[in-house]
Formats: sequence, structure tokens, C-alpha cells
Amino acid sequence: MRRTTRTLAMAVGLLSIGLVTACSPSDPDAGGGAGSAERLTIGTTADVINYNPLVGNSRTDTWVTNLMYPRLMGMGLDGTRTPYLGTEWAYAPDGKSAKVTLRDDFTWTDGEKVTADDVVFTIKAIAAEKIGVVAGLIPAFQEATALSPTEVEFTLSEPDGTFLENVGFWMPIVPEHVFSKVGKVAEFANDADWVSAGPYQLTSVERGQRYVLKRVANYPLVDGGPKTAELVFRVFPDVNTEALALRNGEIDLIANALPPALAKTLEGDSKLKLVKVPSLGWAHMQYNLARKPLDKLEVRQALAAAVDYEAIRRVALQGSAVSSNSSVLTPTLKQWQDPSATEYAYDPARAKQLLTGAGFTDGNGDGLFDGLSLRMIYDQADPNIAKWAQLVRDSSKEAGIDIKLEGLERNTYLAKTKERDFDIYAGSWAIMENPPANLTLAFKCDGFINYANACDPALDKLIDESRSHLDQPSQKTAIQAAAKIISDQVYDNVLYVEEFTFAHSAKWSNFLVQPSELLSIVNPQSLAQATTD
Amino acid sequence: MTISRTSAAGSTPTAGTTAAALPPSESVAQQTWQAFRRNPLGLASAAVLILLILVAAGAGLIADYPSGYGEDVLAGPSAAHWFGTDDLGRDVFAQVVWGTRVSIVVGLAASVLAIVIGVLVGVAAAYFRYADALLGVIVDLSLSLPVLPLMILVAALAGPSVSTLVVVIALFSWPEVARVVRSQGLAVVPMPYVSAARVIGGSHLWIIRKHVLPGVAPVIAVSVVLTTSRAVLSEAGLSFLGLGDPNSWSWGAILHQAQRSGSLATAWWTTLFPSLAILLLVVATTLLAVAYNDARNPRTR
Amino acid sequence: MPAGIRFLLHRVLRGLLTMWFAVTVTFFLLRLLPGDPALAIADPGMTEELRAKLLADYGLDRSLGVQYWEYLTQLAQGNLGVSFRQNQPVLDILLERLPWTLLLAGSALAVTVALGIPLGVLAATHAKSGLDRFIQVGGITGQSLFVPSIGVLLLYVFGVQLGLLPIGGAMDGDATGAAAWGSIAVHLILPCLSLVLVQLGSYVLTLRSTLIDALGEDYCTLARAKGMPQRRVVWRHALRNALLPTTTLVGLQLGFLVGGAVLTESIYAYPGVGRSIFEAVGQLDFPVLQGAFLMLAFAVIVANLLTDVAYGLLDPRVRTA
Repeated sequence: MRRTTRTLAMAVGLLSIGLVTACSPSDPDAGGGAGSAERLTIGTTADVINYNPLVGNSRTDTWVTNLMYPRLMGMGLDGTRTPYLGTEWAYAPDGKSAKVTLRDDFTWTDGEKVTADDVVFTIKAIAAEKIGVVAGLIPAFQEATALSPTEVEFTLSEPDGTFLENVGFWMPIVPEHVFSKVGKVAEFANDADWVSAGPYQLTSVERGQRYVLKRVANYPLVDGGPKTAELVFRVFPDVNTEALALRNGEIDLIANALPPALAKTLEGDSKLKLVKVPSLGWAHMQYNLARKPLDKLEVRQALAAAVDYEAIRRVALQGSAVSSNSSVLTPTLKQWQDPSATEYAYDPARAKQLLTGAGFTDGNGDGLFDGLSLRMIYDQADPNIAKWAQLVRDSSKEAGIDIKLEGLERNTYLAKTKERDFDIYAGSWAIMENPPANLTLAFKCDGFINYANACDPALDKLIDESRSHLDQPSQKTAIQAAAKIISDQVYDNVLYVEEFTFAHSAKWSNFLVQPSELLSIVNPQSLAQATTD
Repeated sequence: MTISRTSAAGSTPTAGTTAAALPPSESVAQQTWQAFRRNPLGLASAAVLILLILVAAGAGLIADYPSGYGEDVLAGPSAAHWFGTDDLGRDVFAQVVWGTRVSIVVGLAASVLAIVIGVLVGVAAAYFRYADALLGVIVDLSLSLPVLPLMILVAALAGPSVSTLVVVIALFSWPEVARVVRSQGLAVVPMPYVSAARVIGGSHLWIIRKHVLPGVAPVIAVSVVLTTSRAVLSEAGLSFLGLGDPNSWSWGAILHQAQRSGSLATAWWTTLFPSLAILLLVVATTLLAVAYNDARNPRTR
Repeated sequence: MPAGIRFLLHRVLRGLLTMWFAVTVTFFLLRLLPGDPALAIADPGMTEELRAKLLADYGLDRSLGVQYWEYLTQLAQGNLGVSFRQNQPVLDILLERLPWTLLLAGSALAVTVALGIPLGVLAATHAKSGLDRFIQVGGITGQSLFVPSIGVLLLYVFGVQLGLLPIGGAMDGDATGAAAWGSIAVHLILPCLSLVLVQLGSYVLTLRSTLIDALGEDYCTLARAKGMPQRRVVWRHALRNALLPTTTLVGLQLGFLVGGAVLTESIYAYPGVGRSIFEAVGQLDFPVLQGAFLMLAFAVIVANLLTDVAYGLLDPRVRTA
């Protein structure tokens, strides 16, 4: 109360002096002075909800915990794996085991070495408690052993050519000597006294305001340690205020991808630099095959023909998206892409023809086929999808198809997709960088994220075949054949692959671009090596 | 502001209670009109309101319904697009024009609903003295609660739609009406002609219809105008927070879209014009109410 | 002083009654409106067993009467439920935020009163003049502003174009000592100004009309007849009497003020209870929405109680009223 009164008095004083004229000395340029910068301030639009890297799944969670917990592998611009904590990895010739060699110069912030034991502990905890995404990605995992402090061996139940890449990129390594003492790892909040091994260490949290991370001087992946002494994540309610703060110099970088419209308006600002980052996923619509009439191929083809793909990319995405030629093997993943794929043609007349052929009529002459009204769900908080959903609705109407939009709050949307409670699902995948693994989850009969309810034995066989190969070139043939089936049968309608735009102050440079919105320029390596001019 | 219960307590309805205690006679109405005619602000406000209502009614004649997309995305105001375009290249002028219809319809509907409840409660409290204690307390208690957070809670639970908005806004606006009607009613009920009617043995309903309602009518008229403008602000607030109807354009919805697409602070035209429309409507209604009250009150006339 | 104690007791009882009313309204609204009341307690994304446990904890499987009693008991113990999205007790989340909202609302109120009284007096003493009209129209225009619009405008002008004031937040976390207070004050200016702009009108207009009435009363006429200077008549006699309705308005306005804080705090990234509401709306975090309303209602009730009591101590007439 006393504190309030004093502030109140000061505020009143300041206000009555004269709001505008008196306050000249306060220079908001908080970025700091000359030389190697003291602080890099990053804007985000949410608080950290979960500090446990194995459980947290929001973007802000990932950005912050990525700076604290290393992974076995990093990722290059085309989705290929790069060394990180792991330096080398290989399968045994029979494919029933795999080995990863670790660096020996990583240490936890309490002085303990990062060793193979930590890796073994982490994967065992994940498998035992079935934690998060990673548990679903490693079905073949059986056992892990530390051969030496820098060597881990994984035993697999059957050959799985996706195992190493999945475990390498998706699994953050946590300190055994801390996480083993907490009971169930999945329930550990990890919200104080962090022991971490990344380039920065979380030191203070002011919820709703900011998160401060301090440099870890002996971080081995940047010569001489991270360049900037301190990282600060500042929380804003939305991207509008964030953009204003970037423009007046209060923050140096916006962690969220900019909505295309905002990116366009910031283009001309000479104090800012915009960075393009490729997506590892795609935006798409899936038609629920478990519901009539979407089980009919003609109806799905008609729906696909009633979408103006060009307009979506040009207008809704402001051109910052490329066509994936209606294939789940996107152009970002160059080593997988199938050059013979072609995009569905936008042709409302053909859509009408297909529907008439499938027995639909327009009895009441309202321009819409009778008995063909479909519910399309999407996450209303996603500004891009909320926009193109309107375009899809309007262009489908021209083809006589009535689509009812249901923009949902994120968790309701996730619950509905989980129950497959929709006719059409509109959404996007963030990271689908390993087709054999991803197609298993997304298109096999019992796939965890098989939103289309597709169940096609021929497709399943091809996907399984590709997984049994241990090297990419041999996986590729089967996967391309699988992708062709997905496209021909319209099990998935891939609309585009986004090119994200990120903005930072022109004072900063030397960021390292990694693909996807989760890595972008806020990945640990990038923030550790960034410098001011 | 969103749930301004301000002017009602201030310069407007309550201030002039003594003047209108008598049922309006021909001459009072005439005098009021004479006084009102001399008030340029009042006349201008009335003109603005009539204009807005014409725009709302004839939206289809003025601009095409904003749908689909345009090639000129986030273009500033020009001859082709007077108010510029939004992030899908749609004409902001058309949005504001059609938004006028939705905002005014939501505002009026919520206001009518609130007035019906408010007048029933207010008249009952003024007329039946035994009910007054309870009703008065309920009204006072409702008035002292922070209404916007409550509206948000209920609207979020009920799900976004135009009817939700109308009901939610009305549900939390009637106490203000009831308060004003009650205090005016309390001045009317003890009047000799009302007591006389009671003595003669008129039924309660008849007395209320014949004497009490006409007595509070001027206050109701002012309330309709003020409650509507407040409902428009509430609608804008709720829509801005994403609790509006996603399938219709209201002024708040336009601002919500601008906020979503990140153009709120960068493409000023997407923010300025709907904001001005809100401002214009609310200022005009309030000034009209003030002018009407001034004209009605012999002291300020 | 029995009259004083009776007055105090009366006001406290009234405060309790209002709080009970707020709680009851919330309870019945959530259960009688269309929509699943379970939604306000258990997240559809939760596991079945957790959901069943929560519903049982809140007695949703029992009769309405029992549920109501359970609800009152839980609230009385300060249990506002657990946030769907943040895995934290709602009370903890909101208590962290409450001081900022109190600071913002309190300072906005203080500035409004400090500016409102002289402006109201000015308008009343110059009634019907151009100055009076200007103040009236200005006040009405202020009340009619839509907070997010004016917020963005102020941010753009003072934050980006002039670069005088910070864009958002409540303080610079690094500042210590006097600098920290300075930083808090600087961050407070724009949000406070926005609230003052939309509040000021009603105070000025109420004061103006009651003051005009008071100046027409016999005791003022008499004072003037006795040769008392106009300035003294206004400030000593008329204002004292006109302040009572204005104080009543202050009480009424508090609910409106904290309501306005929802939009203000959202635009200015101010970490108060209002911004938790903004965040919770987007995530349909019902326990937070409900808790925030109850907490703001509680704050308003306590503030009203304090105002009443303080005013009662200052002005003996109120106590008997």
C-alpha cells in the first residue's frame, strides 16, 4: 500500500508537470551502449508455462528451454541433421541397434559433466512415462546403455531408419542428477534453481513481464563463449505492441513470425532487418473420410478443385509462401521432393461437374448443391489460417459447396481434432522434416495424427517399406510412391509452404537462420553468436 | 468507454427530475422543442444520428458487402478505397458501412431489452414500496460490480454470436436504467393525481399505465439513447477481445481483425475509421441526450 | 461514539452483502446459462479421470444447493480453482497481478479527481459560456473514446514518433532505488492518461450540474448578499455540498474503472489483472476469468468501503444519512 501511494504521488506529480514537455531526459533506448552488447531483448507474446523441456510445448516454452537444454542433433536449412551434443551417429548393419558419440566438453551449470548417462536417463524416462511427442516417435526403442561417458547405444526391436533422426532432434537432454530425484519426471515443474547446459542460464522470472537469462561463459559451441552477456524475453499481449516496441528500440528482436501483413508494413523501416525463414511443415486441409460424403473420391477432388491456391498464397500470405505441388514432400526438403508432382487445378466448373457426377443436385436453385454443407474447423488464433479459411469458403461457394467456418479456441480445436469431430480440418504442421516418420503418424490406419481417417493398405505398405531402410536414398523411392497416393486420393490437400518473416533491429547481425518458426533466429546457436555492429 | 454509466448519473437524466414530474402536456412538449431547436449541438447530433441510421438501413445501396479478397492489400486511403483496404484487400469503407448496421442493431436490441427489464424493475420499485427495499438493493449491488469482466466471462462461456452479445450486454445494462427510472418514478408516485387515482380505486396496472409510465417516459427516452450508445461501446469492447460474432462485421470486429493481423498500429486507416465511427455515434447520442434534458428542464432552458 | 460504530458496521455489512451478491450472481450465471458449467472447471482436453475428480471436488455431480454451498466454502478458503493453461492456482496468478491494477486504477482515480474538481468548478462558474460548452463537449468526447483506439494512438505518438515514453510493461526490471520508482512512473503515464481521458468527463459533468444547483440555493445567495466574494462562496460553501454526489459517483465509477483496465492493460502490456483477463479470453481459461472478476469485485468493494468510511469521518452528516 505504501509503495502504491508513493508511486501514485510521483505519477500525479509527473502528470501535472505536463505530460509531454517535461519528460525529455528519459531515453527509451535500453539496448545498451557500445562494444560487445550487454543485452539482447526479445519480444514474445506469451509467458513460459512449462519449464520442463520434456513436457513444455508452447512456442515460448521451446524458445526458452532450447537455450538451456542441448539436443543430440541440430538442424540445417533443408531439415538435415547437424552435430550438436552428438558428433557422430550410425546404425548397426542389422539395424537393430544404433550408436551416438557425444562431445566431452559440455557441462551442467552446477559443474557436473554432461555424459552418456544423462542421455540414457532422459530416453528411459520418456519411454517409461510415455512423455510428449518423443515417446510417439520412437516406437522401436527398447533399451539404452552408456558404453562410455561419451558413447550411447540404443537397442531397437526392429530396424527403424527414422529412430536416430527423431531422437537426435526432438529429445532435449536433461541432467540425471537433478531429474532423477523428482519422482515422476513428467510431473516435475522445474520452475526454480535451474541446472542447464545451454549457452544461457535462466536467472530470473517476472511473470507477465520478462525472463532474464545470463551467459554461460564456458559454452563450447561458440569460441570465447556467447557474445552477449544477457538475454531478456519480454512478454507482450499481442504482436501490435511488440512491433511498436521493436520500432522504438525497446526490443531488438521479435521471436514470433510476423503476420504477412505486418511484415509488409515493416519492410520500409531502415532501422529494422527482416529475415526469411523456411518452414519445415505445410498448411493444409484434410477431409474426414469417416464422414459421408467425404468418403467419395469425387467429392474430395471437387473440394480440392474449389480452392484458389494462387490467391491464397498471393493475397492471404502476401506472397510469402510457395506451392508444394499438392505433395506432402515439400520443396524445403529438397532431398525428398518429387519433381513430377503437380498442384490441383483451381477449377470451380470441374468441381461442379464432379459433384453432379457423384449424384449431387441443386433442387432449390440457390446455387448450392443440396445436402452438401460442411463444417471446417481451424484455430482462430492463427492469423493466416483465419484469413485463408475465408477465401476457401468464398471460392467453394462458387463451386456450389457450402462450407461453414468454425474458428475455435486452440484447446477446443485440439480436442476436436483429437476426436476427429469435423468435416474439414484446416491447420498446419510446424515440423515435418522426416517423411518416413511423419507419414507414419499422419497417414497410416491407426496414425496418431491421421486426421483424414485415411486407411489404405497400399499406402501403409509403402510407408513401412521406407522405414525399414536405414539410409535416405533407399527410403526415398517408397516414400515418393506413398506421397503420390496421398495426393491422388486427396488424403491431404497441401496448400502451401510458408516462408516466415522475422524482424530484428538493424543494429544486430550475425544471427544463424535455422528452419521453422521454432528455431528461426531464436535458436540457441544464433542467439549465442549474434553481435552488434 | 465500454460500460460508461457515467453521464446518466451526471448531467443527464437524474439532474432534471423535478422538471418532468408532471406528465408532459402539449405546452411542455412544445416548450421543450422550442428550446431544443435553439441548441446547435443538439441539432447537429440529431442530424449525425439520422445519418448513421440511414447508413445502417441502406448499407447495401452504399457499398457492396465486404467479402472475398482484393489485390490491393493494406493500401492507404485513395479514390478507389476511401478508407483504404485491410489485410485481405477488402474495402474498409464497406466494412465501416456494414459495421454501422451490425453495431446499431446490436446496440438497439440490447438497449431495448435492457430498457424493458429496467423499466419493469424501476417502476415496480417506485410504485410498490415494499418491493423497493429489495429491488433497490439489487440494483445498487449490481451497479457497484465491475461489469466488463463479468460480461467477458459470460460471453466466453456462451460462445460468440450476435444474440449472445445482445443478451449479455442487456443483462448487465438494465440496472442503470432501473436506477434512473426508479428515482424518477419516486417523484411521480406521490403526486396528487396518482394518489387520487388510488383513492378512486383504479387497479395498479391501470394507474401504472395511465400515470406512472407517462411520468417516467422522458427519462426512458433518454435512457434508450444512452443505453444504446453504451451498448455499442460494450459490443466494440467484447468484439475487440474476440468475443464478437465471427461471421458479421461490426466496428469492434473490424478493430479485432486489425489487431489479429498486426496492422492495428501500422496501417492506421484500419484502426482510425471504425474508431471514429464509434466516437461519432457515442458523442452524438450523448450530446442529444444532454440537449434534450436541458431543453426539458426549465432551469437550464 | 455509537453513531460512528453503527455507521461503520452498516458499511461493512453492506460490503459483505455485495460480495455475496457477486459470488452468487457468478455461480448462478454459470449454471443457468446455456453452456456446460463443467467447462468452467474442467478443461475438455484433460484426461477423463482428472476431469471426473475435479467435477467431484466441485460437487458438480450433486444437487444445486450442495454445489452452491461447496462453492461458497471453497471461495471462503481463497480457492479460486486452478488455471487450465498455467497449471497454477488462480489465486496465485492473480495476486501477482493485483498490485499493478491497484496502482493503475488508483492513480487514474487520483488524477481524475485532481483534474475533475477544478474543471467542474470552472464549468459551473462559467455556465453557458464558451468555456463551459468546451469543457462539456470535451468531457463527453472523452467518455466516448474506445480505449484500444486511443491507446494505440497514444503509443504511436508518444512511443514511436516522439520516442518520449516506453511502449509497454510496468517498469524497467533493472532499475533499482529511485530509478525503479521513476521507471514505474514513466510506464504508468500512458495507461493512466487513457483511463483519465475516459473517466474525467463524468466527474466534471456531475460536479458541474450539482454545483450549479448548489449555487442557486438560498445559502449561497445569502452568502453573496452578505458580500462574500464569489470565489469563497464557490469553494467554501457550494463545493462542499456538491462533493457528496460526486463522491457517490466515485464509488459507482470504480467498477467501471477496473473494467476499463482490462482493455487498457491489454493495449499497454501492463501486467495487471485486466491483462490476465485478456489472455484468458483467448485461451478460454474460465477459472482465471471467473477468479479475475471476483477479485476485481472484491477490490472495488473494499475501495468503496474505505471511501465511504473516510468520507464519513470527514463529513459527520454522512454518518447519519
